[in-house]
Amino acid sequence: MKTLLAAIAAVALLAVAPFGLGGYETNVLMMVLFFVILAVGLDLVSGYCGQFSFATGAFYGVGAYTAAIMSRDLGTSIWLHLPAGAVVAGLFGLLLGIPALRLKGHFLAIVTIAFQTIVYLVISQWTSFTGGQVGLTMPNAGPVRIFGVTLFEFGSLRSYYWLTLAMTVICLIVAWRLIHSRLGREWVAIRDDETLAGAVGLDTTRGKLTAFVAYAALAGVAGVLTAHSLRGVTPDDFTIWISATVVAMMVVGGRGTFVGPIIGAAFLATLPEFLGKFAEYKMLIYGVLLVLAITLVPEGVVGRWRARTSR
Amino acid sequence: MDLFLQYLANGVVIGSTYVLVAVGLTLIFGILGVVNFAHGEFYMIGGYAGIFAITVLGLPVLPAVAVVLATAAVVGIAAEAILHKPMKNRDATSSIISSFGLAVALQNATLIVMGPQPQRLNLDVSKIPVLSSLPTDFGPVFLPQQRTLIPLTMVLLIAILYVVLRYTWTGRSLRAMAQHATVARLCGVRVERVAVVTFMVGAALAGIAGMLMSSIFLVYPIVGNMIALKAFTVVILGGMGNVAGAAAAGLLLGITESLTSGYIANSMRDIVGFVFVILVLLFRPQGLFGKAVDRS
Repeated sequence: MKTLLAAIAAVALLAVAPFGLGGYETNVLMMVLFFVILAVGLDLVSGYCGQFSFATGAFYGVGAYTAAIMSRDLGTSIWLHLPAGAVVAGLFGLLLGIPALRLKGHFLAIVTIAFQTIVYLVISQWTSFTGGQVGLTMPNAGPVRIFGVTLFEFGSLRSYYWLTLAMTVICLIVAWRLIHSRLGREWVAIRDDETLAGAVGLDTTRGKLTAFVAYAALAGVAGVLTAHSLRGVTPDDFTIWISATVVAMMVVGGRGTFVGPIIGAAFLATLPEFLGKFAEYKMLIYGVLLVLAITLVPEGVVGRWRARTSR
Repeated sequence: MDLFLQYLANGVVIGSTYVLVAVGLTLIFGILGVVNFAHGEFYMIGGYAGIFAITVLGLPVLPAVAVVLATAAVVGIAAEAILHKPMKNRDATSSIISSFGLAVALQNATLIVMGPQPQRLNLDVSKIPVLSSLPTDFGPVFLPQQRTLIPLTMVLLIAILYVVLRYTWTGRSLRAMAQHATVARLCGVRVERVAVVTFMVGAALAGIAGMLMSSIFLVYPIVGNMIALKAFTVVILGGMGNVAGAAAAGLLLGITESLTSGYIANSMRDIVGFVFVILVLLFRPQGLFGKAVDRS
């Protein structure tokens, strides 16, 4: 109950935040929310199900390009892009999940990196379909109508921020429900001991595939939101750096915990703002933090804190 | 046909680089069980060390090679201290994440120090004794001496590595570690020393490859990304931990890429290897040249 109240208070605070903040700060907050979705999604597959993925950037890009290409070729709106992005990215997740059934540890890590690279090479080189290195631009999401009555116009930064906030809350609720469902407990069983999980009659194939699909679909939603909010897509937003950043967020926050990746995302995504003129060193700092975190606090900040309080 | 031979020769040159990088990678994996995602950075650092020695210090080639080797030794010692020593009693995932972080840190540190613009090593072949007398035309195939140097060096280094692994005490202890670390320790192998030597050998092979390649292609901070991925492709195709397999698969990948870019499309050359590796892992996870073993 206390947790629920705290969560509601946090969301309410974030909802009114744009009134007290300038455009730049609102933008930063929105970026934090994108990364929260990505890190919580990665935590489903890596933290809970124990399967590696360095391909977050690829699914993020698939979602974003789905929105951009649908908007260019079909002229559809964001309300169609959100489910479409989740479904298309989810299908790619299934595609990556299939090799994951047979591979473990480093083999899986290498395949996900290969997958990330293939997706990046395709979106940056298939110029006629994806716009190549230049990318694609997006029109404004336009007015939101119910029965012909215009509720509000999409266009201002705040409207995109609120949409992102609403979608983040929905994604977090979905992730929370998944983790605390029977399926989520199956994931944990697969992570802890796959042979045992299979021996007690759990369908490990289904477990791993669903984890990959859920992870990819969440990243796809984040991609659609990003494409619309930034009014366009370029391949360089979906490189392996993004994957590395999200892995760092999850590891620093705490793998296999719900709040860990959220805290990790909030911390690492806002970190460059506090670095001032050292902001260009952010990837260097992420890399060093990743090494330090996995060496000194492999269970993450939240994991360490929990271990301490439960003692 | 003439064009085919030229593509083949180019493929062998590129493939030789893959062999040098991948053999070190497969040694580190086979002996220590560390999956080193920072291996491409060993190559990148070798390239920059070579440029520093030749362009900035104005050294002749052999002392420049010594500079590259010394740098590689330092890098190897540091990488072992970060990726292997603290991770000994942990699961494999820790060293994967850690080496990934190390790769990101090294690339961005280089970006800050050296800047993003690609650089090139001006290797004056006319000053290298034997090489300058080599022909550049082999029938229909044209190979500048900088390129010929790469397969020659590769063969030399792999031969040295083979002799060391086969006949020296150090080589025997490396192979003993690969078979069973605990038993090797019981037989008097100094495991800590072997770990450092393995990383140094890996860094040296990759560093030399980086130095040689940057006289043909350019070197830039994130050049190691693609090289590391290619090397992983080679390591998987050859069978994880299999040195001879990595050597064969490296040449094979280089030739395949060269033919792909020659006959299909240049934009396909980088993708073909990755598609290949995913297929191999799906249908023959022990690698093209590996024996089926328990991989758990």
